[in-house]
Amino acid sequence: MTTQRHNFDTQPFLLEELPPVARFSLRVRSANRGALEGALGLELPDLVGHRSTRGQAEVLCLGPDEWMILTPEADRDALVSVAASAYMQIPHSLVEVSDREITLRLSGPQALTALTAGCPRDIDAIPVGRGARTLFDNATVVLWRDGPQDFRMNVWRSFVPHVRAILDKVMAELKSGL
Amino acid sequence: MSRYRIPGKGRVDPSAPVTFTFDGRRYQGLRGDTVASALLANGVHLMGRSFKYHRPRGAVTAGSEEPNALIGTSRGPGRFEPNTRATVQELRAGLVTESQNKWPSLAFDIGAVNDRAYMLFSAGFYYKTFMWPRSFWDKVYEPFIRAAAGLGKSPTEPDPDTYASRNLHTDVLVVGGGAAGISAALVAARSGARVVLVDENPEMGGSLLSDPSIRIDGQGSWAWLADQLSQLRAAGVKLMTRTTAIGYYHQNMLGLVERVTDHLDQPPQGAPRERMWHVRAQQVILAQGALEKPLVFDGNDRPGVMLAGAAQTYLNRYGVKVGDCAAVVTSHDSAYYAAFDLVDAGGRVAAIVDTRPTVRADLVEATRKRGIELLTGHTATATYGRLRVKGVRVNPVSGSRVGAGRKIACDALLISGGWTPSLHLFSHTKGSLRWDAESRTFLPDHKTEACQIAGAGRGLWGYGPALEDGVKAGMAAANALGRNATPTGARVEGDRPGTGTSQKELPTDRSAGKAKAFVDFQNDVTAKDIRLAVREGMRSIEHVKRYTTNGMATDQGKMSNINGLMIAADALGKEPPQVGLTTFRPPYTPTSFGAFAGYHKGATFELTRKTPIDPWAEAHGAVFEPVSLWRRAWYFPKAGEDMHAAVARECRATRASVGMFDASTLGKIEVAGPDAVEFMNRMYTNPWTKLAPGRCRYGLLLGEDGFIRDDGVIGRLSQDLFHVTTTTGGAARVLNMMEDYLQTEWPDLDVWLTSTTEQWATVAVNGPNARKVLAPLVEGLDMSDAAFPHMSVAECRVAGLPARLFRISFTGELGFEINVPARHGLALWKAIHEAGQAYDICPYGTETMHVLRAEKGYIIIGQDTDGTVTPQDAGLDWAIGKAKKDFVGKRSLSRPDIVAPNRKQLVGLLTEDGSKLEEGAQIVLDPNQKLPMTMAGHVTSSYDSTALGRPIAMALIQGGLSRMGETVHIPMPNGTIRAKVTSTNFYDPEGERLKA
Amino acid sequence: MLLIQCPYCDEALPELEFAYAGEAHIARPADPSALSDEEWRDFLFIRTNTRGPHFERWRHIHGCGQFFNAVRDTVSDRFLMTYKAGEPRPVLNALEAAE
Repeated sequence: MTTQRHNFDTQPFLLEELPPVARFSLRVRSANRGALEGALGLELPDLVGHRSTRGQAEVLCLGPDEWMILTPEADRDALVSVAASAYMQIPHSLVEVSDREITLRLSGPQALTALTAGCPRDIDAIPVGRGARTLFDNATVVLWRDGPQDFRMNVWRSFVPHVRAILDKVMAELKSGL
Repeated sequence: MSRYRIPGKGRVDPSAPVTFTFDGRRYQGLRGDTVASALLANGVHLMGRSFKYHRPRGAVTAGSEEPNALIGTSRGPGRFEPNTRATVQELRAGLVTESQNKWPSLAFDIGAVNDRAYMLFSAGFYYKTFMWPRSFWDKVYEPFIRAAAGLGKSPTEPDPDTYASRNLHTDVLVVGGGAAGISAALVAARSGARVVLVDENPEMGGSLLSDPSIRIDGQGSWAWLADQLSQLRAAGVKLMTRTTAIGYYHQNMLGLVERVTDHLDQPPQGAPRERMWHVRAQQVILAQGALEKPLVFDGNDRPGVMLAGAAQTYLNRYGVKVGDCAAVVTSHDSAYYAAFDLVDAGGRVAAIVDTRPTVRADLVEATRKRGIELLTGHTATATYGRLRVKGVRVNPVSGSRVGAGRKIACDALLISGGWTPSLHLFSHTKGSLRWDAESRTFLPDHKTEACQIAGAGRGLWGYGPALEDGVKAGMAAANALGRNATPTGARVEGDRPGTGTSQKELPTDRSAGKAKAFVDFQNDVTAKDIRLAVREGMRSIEHVKRYTTNGMATDQGKMSNINGLMIAADALGKEPPQVGLTTFRPPYTPTSFGAFAGYHKGATFELTRKTPIDPWAEAHGAVFEPVSLWRRAWYFPKAGEDMHAAVARECRATRASVGMFDASTLGKIEVAGPDAVEFMNRMYTNPWTKLAPGRCRYGLLLGEDGFIRDDGVIGRLSQDLFHVTTTTGGAARVLNMMEDYLQTEWPDLDVWLTSTTEQWATVAVNGPNARKVLAPLVEGLDMSDAAFPHMSVAECRVAGLPARLFRISFTGELGFEINVPARHGLALWKAIHEAGQAYDICPYGTETMHVLRAEKGYIIIGQDTDGTVTPQDAGLDWAIGKAKKDFVGKRSLSRPDIVAPNRKQLVGLLTEDGSKLEEGAQIVLDPNQKLPMTMAGHVTSSYDSTALGRPIAMALIQGGLSRMGETVHIPMPNGTIRAKVTSTNFYDPEGERLKA
Repeated sequence: MLLIQCPYCDEALPELEFAYAGEAHIARPADPSALSDEEWRDFLFIRTNTRGPHFERWRHIHGCGQFFNAVRDTVSDRFLMTYKAGEPRPVLNALEAAE
């Protein structure tokens, strides 16, 4: 655990850039959702913000017909190929966006506070184990709440320097203790 | 110990002296002081000069409503702030302060001649006095007014401080940490609600801090306060001091400004100076109390004249007596308690002068017991003294007759014209007010938001009623949240109930026309000014306000609005509610730009997007330009090159051999699904059905109004999959527009859109040697012209990376665009750069890209089009699928205005004298016509073309396409330039080079 | 800043996550070529500019991405209701009575 190797007495939160994963945007009509779940071997939650896991794959429902799928890079080609073979029966769109976004992880005692510096929505109202597409400052981000003070945040690649620069300012501010 | 400090009184720390300077002189105050209380402890009342008349002024309040004691503060280099209220600024070691609006010194100020010339500066003076001659405005009036009037001076250095912001969601927000606010917060918190309690002062308590003699539940008020605060903390209430609620917006959104470090001697590293809180509360409780009003009479602004409540605060909270011998003039019971506290602390009060004929018996008794003379039914008609009050002239009033005046000597004059409920935030919500005839003040009426108002804010007086009302408000908020709250009761002993009246200016036996009876102290508005405004025809209170500037100063009428209304109503012969109140607007108190800017300062001032190849460009000396949110390499100057030389070299190199360009910012949208081709047919003007997989086409997107919105090359990767590119700036807009049609007009189509702008990094390689550079890097594709002709697309590997390779050109040269997953963008760039060394490959920026495309007449959306240009206007008819029954914008292409003759059309321009035109320059057909000339169009693009050896330009000209070969004229400051209308395709019109 | 109930997320969220998208219930004609110039002009440009309850479209652009409809009072800036795209236009009287 990263939290264990970190001294939070001096660090209000830890900001890490996580290694790349295979990331897909999946779109399918709700009528075909069940069929596609079977074909892909994934659960596609039908409520916005809900998540599921199957093996090492994670799914987050971002919209009524939109899911984000994360899989280990090793499983990437397998997912693409099952989707392709299901396509004729179950029309859908599976677009790889692994490189579109970079995943930042925020954890530690003031991770939630750090997010409230940039997110207008009530972040604490997102239950652990759910997620949301929302705003951080001027960047659209996808938040995954993995623990009370443990978040992943997908940020479009070109927005990362800005998001990090804001979080650096927040870090300095929180370190000051005021 | 300073002369006016009373040992053992106040909440300041006598063991912690703090040194500061005021106008260069060193003073000592105590930890816990404000600048004002520390100066008063040293006997200094004169703190500033007024805005218009430069009259000497002292602190009249002890809080944020202060209109007079505005000072400049300096906390070190770059940390100068003008117009700080001395009554709010806490003392900190080494604080440097200065008075404002004075020259050469505060005590002797030349500008005070304005005071003698006051007839010149009466209401509406700037509408009347400085009317003519017109030329005097620039040279005489404005410089004079600016030098004479004005507040403080602007800082000259950038602000080195940092600012922060937060979003906070809570069940209950309580504004105001006085008795009502505290009891409301505690009741709500005990019901289980999340509660935030804010107060603008350094500590909670409100007026309790100024009333230590009250006993609540058997404890002294300060002990009770400490106990309540620990209970609030235990109940989980978030307590925020030094935090001002500046605005109350829709659906219980409030802006709070927290002052984080201004009070600290040594702020810790990284601490922000201020923090803006955006709070969304389910329930809001406004417990902001009431603000005391001055009485309006001649000389009521002299230093040493202050509100009675302020004097009580200086005494009890700061242990400062405001003079050796005070007098009181009041129309409200509360001032008696100020006098009593002063006497009880060993001070002297010469007399209490009450405008009311009768006073509560217990107050009369308590006054007599303390040996204070009591004069009821009296008026005040003048004050004495220059830089400090020396006495007040009072006269008996019987009926409408004002009797003979008598001077009462005093060095402090405490005045009270009653109290106004602080309803600024409530008014921000458009909550309506109701006139209460009995207390002659406005009280809150109809609410528009989920809020409660408690305590003095709704006209209640005394701690018992305030505490009780706070409990009620807390219960109401809890109940509205569906929670069960338990009422609590508090027993108050020694309460200080009170009533009073609001009134117009006090009656006088002297000429009212000569009285300087101030209503708005900061803006120097007198009672006479308001009456003059009414005489001159102002009927609406909003007009009176603007004509006189009453209530328009930085205190936003906190002290002056009701007095101004009383006088205006009297002058109009109406009741105050018929005249009405002006609108209170946010912010409640002056707010720094830094607090609004928050983190958006310096490098994070605005969001800057960078491509994966940006680091290479930076390392290789690129000059950047902003393109929408992106920063893009503009050109790559070599040592000694200016922009012109660098761009000319980049253009030459690309046309002669090969150039490379970072095109990653282009918008990319994956259009996928069985109905993808149908969707493309409906969105774009072009026909897509027959476009074979593996082929590309230039796509043109219109709005429904027929005007060009965007363009880009679109590749068909498979039957059901299109790779759409958009302009850099249009990426988000185009996707939004497509989603709109898809979701709301054609939800039946089985097609989905995904933004892949940032999935791919894109490198464009252009020039006769482009294929030679790339071919060795490409695997899995025959790149020959026969196998992979112009406008082809394929998936393959480039430099060992998975890629989508397009053969397209935005330069007129043989061109390729290679897309690889973004993480590999830099590696691809470097690989191509290395492979291109044999051909002297030249990295080029957006400027060269612009020149090369202009030489070919390729348009830039937003530069050569402006939202009023149709495909025909731009010479792009060929991109319209004429056989298609419908597409977005098609119907508009036959609208009467669109098919009308003489529309502005895009053409090329070549100047006769070989000069380069200015982009934006206007074009006329007849240079000899009378002014103003009829404009026929304007230049949209203009560049020096190395390929043509001369400047070229594009322009939108009326009927331009039918003017080929004609001469048009571009009038410029140094003469008119003649130019010939040409095709926009300046270079290689047959397009031979593309086919290489 | 308004709070807007997204009918797809079933949650009231800050206005910053949303984008306004013009008047609602103006369907694109099925066959624009069948319209007269005047009819097409009205479709393009003529809007109600209502004082009071206004039927309008919003997009939860920084959230679920969906376009939806809303009734907002243009005087008070208060949302009377939001509903999914494609759902029938609500009856105003009932909404106002519920206010």
